[in-house]
Amino acid sequence: MKISNKFLFAVFLTGFSIYLVFALNPEGASRILLNLLTFAGIYGLSAIGLNVHFGWTGLLNFGHASFMGVGAYVTLILMPHAAGREGEITSTGLPFIVALIIGILSAALFGLLLGLPAIRLRGDYLAIVTIAAAEIFRLLVRDLESITGGVYGIINYTENLQQYRPNFINNFSESLGFSPSQAWVCLVAWVSILFTVLFLKRLNNSPWGRALRAVREDEDAVRAMGKNAVWLKLQSFMLGAGIAGLSGVLLAFNYGSLETTVFVPLLTFYVWAIMILGGVGTITGPIFGSIIFWVIISETDRLAFILFENANGQQLAGVRFLLVGLLIMALMIFRPSGLLGKKEELLLDVK
Amino acid sequence: MSNSLIEVNNLKKTFGGLTAVDIKQLGFNKGQLTSIIGPNGAGKTTFFDLISGFQNSDSGDIHLKNKDISNFQPYKIARMGMVRTFQLTKVFDRMTVLENLLFSGSEISNDSLFKSVIKSKSQKKYEENLKDKAKNIMEDLNILHMADSYARELSGGQKKLLELARSIINEPEILLLDEPLAGVNPKLAEEILSLIKKLSNEGITILMVEHNIEAVMKISERIVVLAEGSLIADGNPNEIRTDRNVIEAYLGKDND
Repeated sequence: MKISNKFLFAVFLTGFSIYLVFALNPEGASRILLNLLTFAGIYGLSAIGLNVHFGWTGLLNFGHASFMGVGAYVTLILMPHAAGREGEITSTGLPFIVALIIGILSAALFGLLLGLPAIRLRGDYLAIVTIAAAEIFRLLVRDLESITGGVYGIINYTENLQQYRPNFINNFSESLGFSPSQAWVCLVAWVSILFTVLFLKRLNNSPWGRALRAVREDEDAVRAMGKNAVWLKLQSFMLGAGIAGLSGVLLAFNYGSLETTVFVPLLTFYVWAIMILGGVGTITGPIFGSIIFWVIISETDRLAFILFENANGQQLAGVRFLLVGLLIMALMIFRPSGLLGKKEELLLDVK
Repeated sequence: MSNSLIEVNNLKKTFGGLTAVDIKQLGFNKGQLTSIIGPNGAGKTTFFDLISGFQNSDSGDIHLKNKDISNFQPYKIARMGMVRTFQLTKVFDRMTVLENLLFSGSEISNDSLFKSVIKSKSQKKYEENLKDKAKNIMEDLNILHMADSYARELSGGQKKLLELARSIINEPEILLLDEPLAGVNPKLAEEILSLIKKLSNEGITILMVEHNIEAVMKISERIVVLAEGSLIADGNPNEIRTDRNVIEAYLGKDND
């Protein structure tokens, strides 16, 4: 009963946010909404992966952007694309679905490789190592220009996904004035969320999910019960990283060109804010959290224009940064359990 | 090879200049209820940490069932049938009492990610049996009414009970109990004590660190006394009661 009230409130708040988009944008609201829902789907998926790490297993992962990055780069490089300063064309490659699976597995493998030395660290120390590893990954990708295109990035890859775009998307988008390619990415993102949520729901009350929660609560006690806490943590790291990898690929297809600057730490903090807003330790929470978060982010851009006349990109990003910080602070103080989190399982007990 | 279930030889552990444990030879027999006592800082908990794998020794060896387990990971030692509890109770706070027990009772193979995705009938059946087993234990320990409460909501004494319940669900051969009575009210202490006695009668080998001397004298078959890391006395309760070394260790040297 109590849970369903919370759920209704989350649905109401999400609905209200979407209504706000229409109320605040007399023109082109549906296009803005599509853009926003695409980002919300992709970031929400990433936050669901982060929740496996932090919400289920208690791992403080602040390098989530690197898992998304590994997934994105591996997948794109394996498919036909163009990269680098000269836009060097690679015309052969694997089909999208094969490349995607390898990309997701690579992200999981990266999770394992990063986890092997780092996962023995506790709490804050793991946070420091993961954030550093994510930055190392980003700088490495930037400097390996011959493979990753470096600062010039990767382009001309979107067709790999768009060629599978069904016709109904075209018709539907035409009638609403959407970009059909973004509508397709949006649909793929939300279908991915659906399957991920179903998969995790299955795991949540399973013996495996229970073991992860035990690790979160007390590793020493897990060991004393004859269970290998390190292996459980590594499994959790791999699963969450794989989900993040998938969301990274979708993010690349949403942008249309991929650069290393996408995977700055700010991306990780966005995902954290979404997870906290939705409810740490919940499965569906990040979905609602993500939509509300993106409405806040996109609709408060006008705030930047009030503060600065003709605000440029940097000023806009600064205002967003400020707002994300304030949002996390406000949540920590007033509602650390987020929209759907259980008070009894409150993980972020800061008071 | 010796007849002892657990045996340590020349076991040494130092922290900087401090010698926490320095034991030449010590063995524990199957089925016996042994208490380890000694003043604060005598090295009792460190001794437990060493034999359960939570800390590595500087030198010496530890044998469990005639197998050298020095520097084994704690979970491997636990799987060999030696399960410990902690001085500062460690329960899974944000899980229910039932979940605490189910996790602890579940076999490693049952915890696998693959099986948890497949959700086979055999796993469901295993979980049902496990639940029954957990319920029986909770009933025995008088915590069945708390089954669906979060462990964090339990009182200190109830947490001790839960930790004990968690330790016995896998039917261990050896139990290492680190201060099972600390911070527990006298009535509950009595209950825990009779439970320990019952487990011992069922054939479980028990090693217990405890400061409640009265309780120790009452239920122990053998008492081992440590002081400053070394073994200073070893015998049945009556021998220990009158042992000069023990009295000196607790009360200081008699200058006369």
